[in-house]
Amino acid sequence: MHIPDGYLGPATCGIFYAIMLPIWTAASRIVKKTLKARQVPLLAIGAAFSFVIMMFNVPIPGGSTGHAVGGVLVAILLGPWAASIAITVALVVQALLFGDGGITAIGANCFNMAFVLPFTGYYVYKAISYNASADSSRRMLAAGAAGYIGINVAAFLAGVEFGLQPLLCHTANGQALYCPYGLKIAVPAMAGEHLLIFGWVEAVVTALVVKYLQKEAPEVIEEGGM
Amino acid sequence: MLKNNNFIERSIMGALSFLKESVFADEYALRKGLLQSLDPRIKAATFLLFIIQAILIKDILILLCLYALCLSLACLSKINLGFFLKRTWIFIPLFSLFIAIPALFSVFTPGETLAVIDLLGFKLIITRQGFFGALLFVTRVITSVSFAVLLSITTKHFELLKALRIFKVPQIFVMILGMCYRYIYLFMEIIENTYTAIKSRVGLEVHYKRGQRIVALNIAFLWYRSYRLNEEVYNAMLSRGYDGEPVILHDFKTSAKDWLWLFFVIILFMGLTYLGAKARV
Repeated sequence: MHIPDGYLGPATCGIFYAIMLPIWTAASRIVKKTLKARQVPLLAIGAAFSFVIMMFNVPIPGGSTGHAVGGVLVAILLGPWAASIAITVALVVQALLFGDGGITAIGANCFNMAFVLPFTGYYVYKAISYNASADSSRRMLAAGAAGYIGINVAAFLAGVEFGLQPLLCHTANGQALYCPYGLKIAVPAMAGEHLLIFGWVEAVVTALVVKYLQKEAPEVIEEGGM
Repeated sequence: MLKNNNFIERSIMGALSFLKESVFADEYALRKGLLQSLDPRIKAATFLLFIIQAILIKDILILLCLYALCLSLACLSKINLGFFLKRTWIFIPLFSLFIAIPALFSVFTPGETLAVIDLLGFKLIITRQGFFGALLFVTRVITSVSFAVLLSITTKHFELLKALRIFKVPQIFVMILGMCYRYIYLFMEIIENTYTAIKSRVGLEVHYKRGQRIVALNIAFLWYRSYRLNEEVYNAMLSRGYDGEPVILHDFKTSAKDWLWLFFVIILFMGLTYLGAKARV
């Protein structure tokens, strides 16, 4: 899901930075307004948590392991705007210090994983768990569905971003300058693996974490969602 | 991504290699080489120019020259070339190389025939557009990844995050970045210790369903611990004078060498842009 440098053309990278700029500004303003002073470290902790979730190896049938992104989980725990900041910080640290995800692609990666993923997931979770009590099993189901839908929407958009490159950037004789696969290949490839495998990893992890928190620390679920 | 291995062992190895790599990176950042001696702000700005240039270039030869420059800078900064090549090629460029292979063929990239491979009577046509497109794609990825990695291993991580101020990143973000960076290490240690404890108690053979529950329980527990940590961290910040507004200490100093480097990179950037434009005509 992390788009590296060199996959997207300069125009696409620029457009996504331009799209994310007002989102980051709005997120800072909203979080500053709603966040109590004593919750400031929570953003940094949330960012580190977002970073670390991606390091967990989740076992899947067949003896393999996969990774969850955890964006929806962070949105359920912190609220979508705070999650947007936390995931952005995690993505910047990954790109800048660990070479995971491109520096020029930070705008696009943040759009997919720090905006679309947490917001889609958060509102799906809110819609399904509407009026449910903190210990209701509907919240666990809502979290699973939100994780699955959130990651799939984000993956579909990443596929579209890849697939647009041969159309947008090519030489006169049709040679691709960036990602060489068009929409017909990039979108099914990205969407397929997430619909069949990674979406389920995300759903299982998100649902089970919410279930454990409901059982062991219900106040975290009640206080979440700034 | 899918990995065919035991998740407990893999989690321990992942956390360990993360911590080990960070120690290596710090070791390189402390060496007395060319890039280590530069002001982190100027270095970050110039490396951003290099990466932008790597994205803009459309000529494979100019891109290869930029990659050669990156390798030369690594050598001048006393980075072991073997370590650097291994660090940069694994994982993204190798993955890119792998996914670029089908793009060579006419099935995915129609165009002029460059070569024909006879595979058990089945003819595979490599097109000129497919070959040069894939080559340019992989070279572009490795060049930009190499510059990004070179920047991160020749700069102390904490300084690199502070250097973001020159890009007008708000102080609150810089503060959160710095704090987040420290917590990542704390969390990595927690993961490593937890999985080592799990390994010693339940072994490595765990059914995947139980494995998923173990992972989810660990993530939930990590969040619970982190959430409770917030209060202590806030009190520690208050005791150090935090009054609601972050203050970042200004301790960077530029020298003539930094300005000379900046001048060199700007001239190079302009030169490459000119060459790129000329190559297109």
